[in-house]
Amino acid sequence: MASRGSQYQWSARGFIAPGVILVAVLLYLPLLWTTFLSFTEYNGLGDPDWIGFGNFAEMFEDPGFIVSLLNTLLWVVGTLLIPVGIGLALALLTWNLPGGVWLRVPFLIPYALSGIGVGLIWSFILSSNGALDQALGAFGIADTPRWLVDAPLNTVVMIIAAAWQGVGVNALLFTIGLNSIPKEPLEAARVDGATGGRLFTSILWPMLRPLTAVVVGLSIVASLKTFDIVLGMTKGGPGGASETLALTMYKETFVNSDYGLGSAIAVFLTIVTMIAAVLYLRQQLSKKHEF
Amino acid sequence: MSRILRTSVLVVFGVIWLLPVYLLIVNAAKSPLTFTSTESWVPTDFSLLGNIAEALQLSGLGDSVLSTLIYALVSPAVAVLVGAAAGFAIVALRLKHGFAWFVVIFGGTVFPLQMVLLPLFDGYSRVGLFDTQLGMILVYTAISIPFSAFVMRNFFTGVAHNVFEAAVLDGATTWRIFARLYLPMASSALVAIFILQATFVWNDLLLGLTLSQSDNVRPIVTTLAGMQSTYGGAQLSTVLAAGVLVSLPTVVLFLLTQKFFARGLALGQY
Repeated sequence: MASRGSQYQWSARGFIAPGVILVAVLLYLPLLWTTFLSFTEYNGLGDPDWIGFGNFAEMFEDPGFIVSLLNTLLWVVGTLLIPVGIGLALALLTWNLPGGVWLRVPFLIPYALSGIGVGLIWSFILSSNGALDQALGAFGIADTPRWLVDAPLNTVVMIIAAAWQGVGVNALLFTIGLNSIPKEPLEAARVDGATGGRLFTSILWPMLRPLTAVVVGLSIVASLKTFDIVLGMTKGGPGGASETLALTMYKETFVNSDYGLGSAIAVFLTIVTMIAAVLYLRQQLSKKHEF
Repeated sequence: MSRILRTSVLVVFGVIWLLPVYLLIVNAAKSPLTFTSTESWVPTDFSLLGNIAEALQLSGLGDSVLSTLIYALVSPAVAVLVGAAAGFAIVALRLKHGFAWFVVIFGGTVFPLQMVLLPLFDGYSRVGLFDTQLGMILVYTAISIPFSAFVMRNFFTGVAHNVFEAAVLDGATTWRIFARLYLPMASSALVAIFILQATFVWNDLLLGLTLSQSDNVRPIVTTLAGMQSTYGGAQLSTVLAAGVLVSLPTVVLFLLTQKFFARGLALGQY
């Protein structure tokens, strides 16, 4: 077998080359360049000046960056609790339900929208005297908060907008997970009289754990990169109060032309993303051996 | 919980979930004459098509429709083929250190997009790719490849290796085996990846914002983001109509393929 396989090595290299080359040139080279720039002072003109960890020090002394960091943290927590939780609930509600596929449709529509589209709708709803205020006014509630202006309320309402968008795909993933659970243990549990909450805690939840790891991992990684919705709804304002790390990075780089600082924020964001992904997946994958 | 209770809960929440969509459509359909921002919940007239026509002229949205369509069709198509070729090399042709090469390709998806923005902007400006359709196609393709390679490698792992050996005995070349045997076999997975990546490309904001400038190169979502900050008041209905126009293709595509898509994803799990 080994000798037969080896005669195709040249052919195999030809087949894998386009993928490797495109990814290397357009993703890895830029990645290395950003890492290098994060240790320099550079505004795009002339040559980058090496300043070691200067940008990173500057970052943590900047109160604006700390606000952005805390907002990003809020995004991670909010995105974990709301869309993952509701997504699981929806999957359980539609599971084995006649017409369940159709009942899921309303939740999937927002998922196909762009972040800017979601931002557009929700800005319209939440603007002062917008659709929400009008609805509340009809119930006699006139004194509403300034949804998109007051911090941290503006971040919270944007998290809700993002949840509105993300619930459907989480429900879909959990549904795939539920459908892949073998029938035998389910039948056995039902025969033993396990239903509802008991069935969920003793059978469904443990069986769903590997998939939950994936969903949670994806949610963390995605929420760390939050950009579109915030740009669309508040532009990070007022005065940077609702900025996220991804938005701060964009502003430092492309608005302030501080390439070094922007790159340092990108590197920081990457490190946090990596740590979150590795920690979470390691913990989850080791638990998998319990059953 | 009983079936009826479950269904009613789902229906009630489904209706609540669609309220923002209702508001979008109702207000995008108001003509600038009847539009008032104080009566958001009540439909007045149906000028959606007129508003969309207006939006297409207003701020270069019409110019970017065609190029966005090209990006969302060409890049995912190329990426699906490149990813399938990589999976084929690793699984069927048993490339030496195949798993290491797979990790190299897949690793491209692990980093936040923010890590590549500035060098791409910088590098594109130097080599003349900034603000070109080719530049946009290249970057969207590269970004779509890792996921495609991931799903296709998984898919081909499920194909018995004697399929390949039998084809070799019949005298087929590796290219022929790939194009005539492995690709057609994987069509459902290929389409599922294509749909996902096309949706991603169509909805991209960040790369469009960074790597393009002209109306005819700039992707549609990026143009929409610009419109949102430029226009307000009575023209808000035009901006909302633009939002409907931008969102329609992905929503329709997604709903049409929902069942199939779930199946394709489930295949990718193994």
